[in-house]
Amino acid sequence: MDTPALIKTLQDPMGIPFFPVVFQALMVLTFSLHILLVNATVGAAALAVYGRLAGGEFWTKLAGSMAKAVTMSVSALIVLGVAPLLFVQVIYDPFWYASNMLSAAWAIGFLLIMMAAFSASYAAVARGDKPGAALFGALALALFLAAGALMHVFSYQALQPERWMSWYSRAAGVDASGTTLHSFSLARYLHFIIPGLAVGGVFLMLRSWYLEPRADADRTALDRAARIGSGLAFWATAAETVAGVWWLMILPDGLRFWRNPTFIASAALGFALLGHFARVHFFTEKPQRSALASASAIILVVLAMSSAREALRMAYLARFEYSPLAQRVTLDWGSTALFFGTFALGLVVLAYVLATAFQSGRVAGRYEAGPRMQAWGRVAVGLLIAWIVVVAGLGVAVTLRNHGV
Amino acid sequence: MYPVWEVPHLTAGMILGLIATFHMMPVYLSTSAMWFAIWLESRSVREGRPDLMDFVRRYARLVLIFSYVFGALSGVGIWFAATVAAPRAISGLIHNYVWGWATEWVFFLIEIAAIYVYYYTIDKVDAKTHLKIGGIFALASWTTMIVIVGILTFMLTPGRWPSTGAFFDGFFNETYWPQLLLRTTSMFAVGGAYVLAVAASGKNERVRVEVVRAGSVLGLAGIGLGGLSFLWYSSSLPDPIRSNLAALMTPGLRGGMIYPTALLALLFAIFAAKPGAARPWAGAAALALVFSGIWSFERTRELIRKPYVIPNYMYSNQIIGGDVPSKGVSSELDRINDKGILRLAAFVPDELRTVTDANRLRAGRMVALIECSACHSLQDKGLRPLPERIRRLGATGPDDVASVLDSLGGIPYMPPFAGTADEKRALAEYLLSISK
Repeated sequence: MDTPALIKTLQDPMGIPFFPVVFQALMVLTFSLHILLVNATVGAAALAVYGRLAGGEFWTKLAGSMAKAVTMSVSALIVLGVAPLLFVQVIYDPFWYASNMLSAAWAIGFLLIMMAAFSASYAAVARGDKPGAALFGALALALFLAAGALMHVFSYQALQPERWMSWYSRAAGVDASGTTLHSFSLARYLHFIIPGLAVGGVFLMLRSWYLEPRADADRTALDRAARIGSGLAFWATAAETVAGVWWLMILPDGLRFWRNPTFIASAALGFALLGHFARVHFFTEKPQRSALASASAIILVVLAMSSAREALRMAYLARFEYSPLAQRVTLDWGSTALFFGTFALGLVVLAYVLATAFQSGRVAGRYEAGPRMQAWGRVAVGLLIAWIVVVAGLGVAVTLRNHGV
Repeated sequence: MYPVWEVPHLTAGMILGLIATFHMMPVYLSTSAMWFAIWLESRSVREGRPDLMDFVRRYARLVLIFSYVFGALSGVGIWFAATVAAPRAISGLIHNYVWGWATEWVFFLIEIAAIYVYYYTIDKVDAKTHLKIGGIFALASWTTMIVIVGILTFMLTPGRWPSTGAFFDGFFNETYWPQLLLRTTSMFAVGGAYVLAVAASGKNERVRVEVVRAGSVLGLAGIGLGGLSFLWYSSSLPDPIRSNLAALMTPGLRGGMIYPTALLALLFAIFAAKPGAARPWAGAAALALVFSGIWSFERTRELIRKPYVIPNYMYSNQIIGGDVPSKGVSSELDRINDKGILRLAAFVPDELRTVTDANRLRAGRMVALIECSACHSLQDKGLRPLPERIRRLGATGPDDVASVLDSLGGIPYMPPFAGTADEKRALAEYLLSISK
């Protein structure tokens, strides 16, 4: 069976309920948010370990808040990771499933490693500034990096369908143990890991910007943290440029990816980001004043990079006559409306919760919500109740129509 | 067909079952906890009792860490485990229910933001705002149940979906409402067990007594209403599933549902009457009983779906055995019986695609991996071990085993053998060889 035929055999026969380009766009968007949080976690975890090792009042305090930030960003990255994990299975099902099956034991191992990493990161917080915090923090960081390596392997194996059968076959039949990891690219892995330090740097700048207006803020410490952040952002982005070039050089010859417009655009934005960080770090007095612009810029670049990687994935798989956009579509307007309606409603509710967090964290004492925030809260609760009523009503109507009383 | 993951003794399906059952523990905590927490918090505000907030803080921290660390991870873990246990099945579900899961994901985002904000803003924001955040969490968390029950029940009773292929026709199927009610009421019994576990270790005697009593009453109410809902749920099951239930329900599984529930009710009754006697061991015992009951219920739910993993569409060994005209999909059985599973399955080494004298046992093992290993261990010990089954049947030659394979389609919970006569013979010889 040749590779294109093998892929066709594997593809789900059901088709998909909406236009594939929509799933692709959602996959790229949600993956970008996920990887930003992954980056933030790696960056914060590295800063927490460094801070514990460096000691002194400034670093001890910063390490404590970085360790706490790790636990929150891991929770968020897991939930944000659910969406791209879902959408990849819709438009790249043969690749994702085959890759996972070939290293199946590690798919379960990934889960256990993440649980251990999460536990270690909580242990690091619980230790506070007592001995052992650095050790737990380092353990958490090492385990996060290992989990990232596994995700990299699953994604990378998925791009090499021509090698799947040779990985699976053995002289006596097949290797169904799923205990082997078959393919790893250091350049590609580094491309995902190094930005952790850049995002960690931006996170430090944002933190200083956010805490500065508080009455009890230590402005000297915030200035210093922001400066460390801008330095990290610049140097890590420079290193990322080197890793990116390395990765580009080892891509399969036939792809000619350096000519791809999405790559050119994302590379241009990447260099612009490097220039921006150079300006902020070397020529700006208070880097935290550029925190919002820096965060916006890095989000934009991550989005562009994710789009470029998606173009690269399409180029890889086009060699095997596969296109994620060539799916059989059986339109299901009802469930599509359910998702987009819920998404819109969800953003209003989520924004309320985050706005409350934002505002309450900026005051030193107890936060009292003003009339606008109170009204927004009532709307948020009302929207959730309305969702339940509408869906329950729909359910009752469908049940009565299909199954009687 | 994808590559197979053979888990010696256990089977990949059992790994999925273990993760899925574990996942229920943090999920039920998440869906039930906040209703109790905001009730207690509003009492604290109304009656001027800040001491009650000590319990709320510890309870919320449990939700935060257990539900949103281990719960979130095991939730993702179910997807990974389902992928490596039955990739075609999870693919079939996702290709139909992707928007359902995506909808649930929106509520996950709200939940996780809300629980962090709720926990970290206790005493730091005004009471009304804090209660609103709690309310948002409680509603969003329960809404995830509203969504997932549609997909879970679809896997048991797909409603009119096979003929229409429409999302809501499968989602709001004949067991949807009974199971939603069953899970909603039972979650309060589980929530009560967690209240017991957290409150029993409280330092403030007055708070401990009050909260243990309230949690025990909540647990008792959950068990009582859950019992009634279970009766409704059982009566809603269609006939083929009832006959599966009669055939497959072992005394262990039945006892595993009844005894833990009865013991849990007894614990709740004792501590509702004498809340001061509650100690941390009582909470641990209650949670162990919950796990045991959930394990038996979820195992039973999995068992009674057989021989399908998606009813009337895909068998538990992932061969498509039914037509879904609305989606343009037809059964693979005739084609496999004509051409052979070794020829049609994608991940079969070329030298095993045709059965020959030189490769008979290896080809037979390949067929066993593809068609049997999802539910049966190929080792002597473990889950439904095939060597032991063959020995029990008293088969002495390949013909005996082949005739057993012929009869599989007549057993209500077994998928039929799919493949050519040569493949059947090779499988029979392989099964015989491992049973000696």
